[in-house]
Amino acid sequence: MIAIDGLTKVFPNPDGTEKVAVDHISFTVQPGEIYGLLGPNGAGKTTSLRMISGLLRPTAGRVLIGGQDVTERPDLVKRQIGYLTANTGLYARLTPAEVLEYFATLYDLPREVARARIRQLSDWLGMGEYLKLRCGALSTGQKQRVNIARALIADPRILVLDEPTLGLDVLSNRLILDFIRTQAAAGKAVLLSTHALDEIDMLCRRMGLIHNGRLIAEGELDVLKQQTGRQRLSEVFLQLVGASDSVFGPVTAR
Amino acid sequence: MNRFTRINTIWRKELTDTLRDRRTLIAMVLVPMVLYPAMILGSLQGFELQISRLKQEEYRVVVAGPEVAGWLRDVIDKDPTRRPGAAGLPAEELVEREQQGQLPAEKPKAKGLRDRSATEAAREDVRRQPPPYSIAVVANAGHVREMVTQGQANVGLLLDGTPPAPAGSGCTQVTLLMDQTDIRSQIAATGLESILQRAADAMLTQRLKRAELDPAFVRPIEFREETTATPEKVGGSILGQIVPLILVMMTITGAVYPAIDLTAGERERGTLETLMVAPVPTVDLIAGKFVVVALIGMLSATLNLLSIGGTIYLGGLGDLLTRGKEVVIPLAALPWVLVLLIPLAVMFSALLLAVCSFARSFKEAQNYVMPVMVAAMIPAIVGVLPGTRLEGPLLIVPVTNIVILTRDLFMGKFDVVAILWVTLSTTLYAGAAVAVAARLFGQEAVLFADSGSVKTLFQRRFFKPADTPSIAQAALLLAVIFSLMFFAQQQLLHVPGVVGTLWFWVGIAAIMLVLFVGVPLGAAGYMRVRIGTTFALARPPGMALLAALCFGLSTWVLAQAWLVFQEGWLPLPRAMEQAFEQMTRQLGDTSPLVMLLFLGLVPAACEEFFFRGYALSGLRNGVGKTGAVLIAALAFGLYHHSVHRLISTSALGLLFGLLVVRYGSLWPAFLAHLMHNALSGLSIREDGLKPLLTALGFNPAADGGPPLPWIIGAGVLLAIGLLLCFFAPRREIALESPAGFRQHGELAEPGAAQR
Repeated sequence: MIAIDGLTKVFPNPDGTEKVAVDHISFTVQPGEIYGLLGPNGAGKTTSLRMISGLLRPTAGRVLIGGQDVTERPDLVKRQIGYLTANTGLYARLTPAEVLEYFATLYDLPREVARARIRQLSDWLGMGEYLKLRCGALSTGQKQRVNIARALIADPRILVLDEPTLGLDVLSNRLILDFIRTQAAAGKAVLLSTHALDEIDMLCRRMGLIHNGRLIAEGELDVLKQQTGRQRLSEVFLQLVGASDSVFGPVTAR
Repeated sequence: MNRFTRINTIWRKELTDTLRDRRTLIAMVLVPMVLYPAMILGSLQGFELQISRLKQEEYRVVVAGPEVAGWLRDVIDKDPTRRPGAAGLPAEELVEREQQGQLPAEKPKAKGLRDRSATEAAREDVRRQPPPYSIAVVANAGHVREMVTQGQANVGLLLDGTPPAPAGSGCTQVTLLMDQTDIRSQIAATGLESILQRAADAMLTQRLKRAELDPAFVRPIEFREETTATPEKVGGSILGQIVPLILVMMTITGAVYPAIDLTAGERERGTLETLMVAPVPTVDLIAGKFVVVALIGMLSATLNLLSIGGTIYLGGLGDLLTRGKEVVIPLAALPWVLVLLIPLAVMFSALLLAVCSFARSFKEAQNYVMPVMVAAMIPAIVGVLPGTRLEGPLLIVPVTNIVILTRDLFMGKFDVVAILWVTLSTTLYAGAAVAVAARLFGQEAVLFADSGSVKTLFQRRFFKPADTPSIAQAALLLAVIFSLMFFAQQQLLHVPGVVGTLWFWVGIAAIMLVLFVGVPLGAAGYMRVRIGTTFALARPPGMALLAALCFGLSTWVLAQAWLVFQEGWLPLPRAMEQAFEQMTRQLGDTSPLVMLLFLGLVPAACEEFFFRGYALSGLRNGVGKTGAVLIAALAFGLYHHSVHRLISTSALGLLFGLLVVRYGSLWPAFLAHLMHNALSGLSIREDGLKPLLTALGFNPAADGGPPLPWIIGAGVLLAIGLLLCFFAPRREIALESPAGFRQHGELAEPGAAQR
């Protein structure tokens, strides 16, 4: 469903030098799967996700979504992706209902379909009581639910989630994780970027570890645990990151 | 979803969002409805209050010696305005009443006819009704001077000789000492002078009577002024000075907040990233936002206009503004003024959006906007300067042209050609600004703060090498060269001793070479755009040259036929015809080769290079092949700066554009253009083709145009050329990627790749 091959992004620095933010990463995500993208802050997770969603143009490499190259048909590809980050904002002066209607129109949903979809999402996420309030007046958790509804409005086949639980309380956190699981069970390909290890542990079978723009480990979680000889994911993480800093070259587990 | 519904959705949402913003409401409603009326009422009434208070004050005159003091007291007390029963009547009326026509008093019938400043009007009032005076006496002239200098007296009066009297026949010089920088001193001096003047008039009357002379003896001429301006025109002239400035200021003030909020603000709040993941092209987003900003700008200007109008009308301030003139507001002009708001708002919105698109935060945007607002006021002020006329280069100076046009409309001047120029040039500038805004808006460097520096948008080494320029680059160059061309040609026309000589043509050729060849080449070089593909310099297939030949041989006949036809409904003004004759006469005397060089080769080469080269290849990256050919042709027509040539030149532009697009080469277009110019030029020359043509039954000098068989023949040739273009095997320019910024500086724009 998502196939990433040699994806690379280089940013120019003001002084004329270049910064390699993402360095030849490759992995795939299958339908029904939740793939975890793990990495410390500034590792290149967000940049990768932005390239995958068609927000940034890769310097090199390809992103195939359902066989379609993102840079070639961004309009087609964007339609299939639900993109959500911790800091995607909502229009503070519009109500959740208006925001959702707006995006439904931008995604070409017919009015009736859009209404039904908004009602459905509102039921799932429990947004009924604040659907008509201004977004600016909502709590962080409520906003994030609206954001999820926004990302799912066109019923995308792919979810790209960039730290979707950042700054949420335990309750909202749980709701969102359950929701992600439900979506994957419904056959969607989910790409989840996070630095919350327990989320990966809880949701993902396969994961990739990004450090300094490079994918230093990639594969099944169990295999990675076996290879490193650690049971706890945090230890796996520390060992892999430490290894990549001292010994160059990725550890591959397939 | 088609583009129209999408933009429609976007702008309606943005409008809702904007109207719910308290800041917009403050800038748009509170400021015009409350603040401005308060400000205007306050300042005008304050001014009036101050003036009337100053008029009531008692002023101190200092004189040297009791003798002068006594005389002055007498003069002041005898002034008509001081007598019992004067009761605030103006002096001239009192004088008239008193003298009953003995002396034709200088009746200021002209009062208020000419424009006066508010202080001048106040001074006039003081002359008619001088303030009360007290007199201080000192020993000598030195002390008088001292007291005035130190501000102990408002005005000093010095007599050179004895006090004047009706009995004598001499002249006494009276010096008024005053401090020019002190308003009280000015008022005191003005009032005193008017009293003395009336006293002098009275003495003159007595002296004349004594000498048994008619008063007319000393006043052989009496002046009267009458105005031919209707009250509407007077009103229009007053409004024309104020309203355009208000409109400019208020359009900007109203548009600033939405412009910042919908671009930089959205970026700052993180909603832009959300929006960009939706399958919507950046151009559509910016277009939707642009509609809202322009709407708010117009709305704000209208509200302001209404509010100020209402304040003046309801506040009884009309008299203050018109200073007692008979004035009627020219209501007929108002709808037109509101229509002119559209281009004004369109231009400022586009400009503001372009500037704000570049900013990453609200604060940054505010910093960028300030200089723009100041810069916009300068041409606006130039426009309201007295005496500026809407002609020549001013026709296309942004903002200035709209300001002058608004003023002219108020004055009842309605010049269709001028309106056309203003609208067209403004549309062009606005289009370029929107294109730039769209380009900047989607940049990675401004979209995500962590994606490198904004510098990357301007420095050459950050540009991505490309085959053809982007549409933004092409639009920008079209707008810039359009105005430069106009200014350069106007400048050349005003160099003394050049028009009518060969040097004029050398100058035109130089301008063309610089603007149409030099500038695009420079731009292409700087932006790292490949020259060969941009200017379509590939070798043309033989078929292309055949098609070009068909066009080249036929268009000059058809163009002449067209001009004859056009003469019927859009006659060429005589003056223009003469000017053109004068310009071309010189070339007629030189060798045909010289004419071919300046009228044929140079324009054909330069114009094709720019319009069918740079502009066409750039436009193709945004509006497709057909759109690009159409726009390039229309621009080509407009660049000839003449309504009378617009249709024929645009049509030629279409044919040349077709050749370039169909055969992927500039050369056939150049050939056809060259042949058209050369044949048109040679056909009217005795040492050219004229004898031959006349022998063949076509007299190019005759008014009737080409004979029918010629037109049919040319039509057939043209049709063959068109058939070749449409049905012969084509060769397209292989377009790999549009120009822009280096790959990592570019946002993948939906739909960009299909082109």
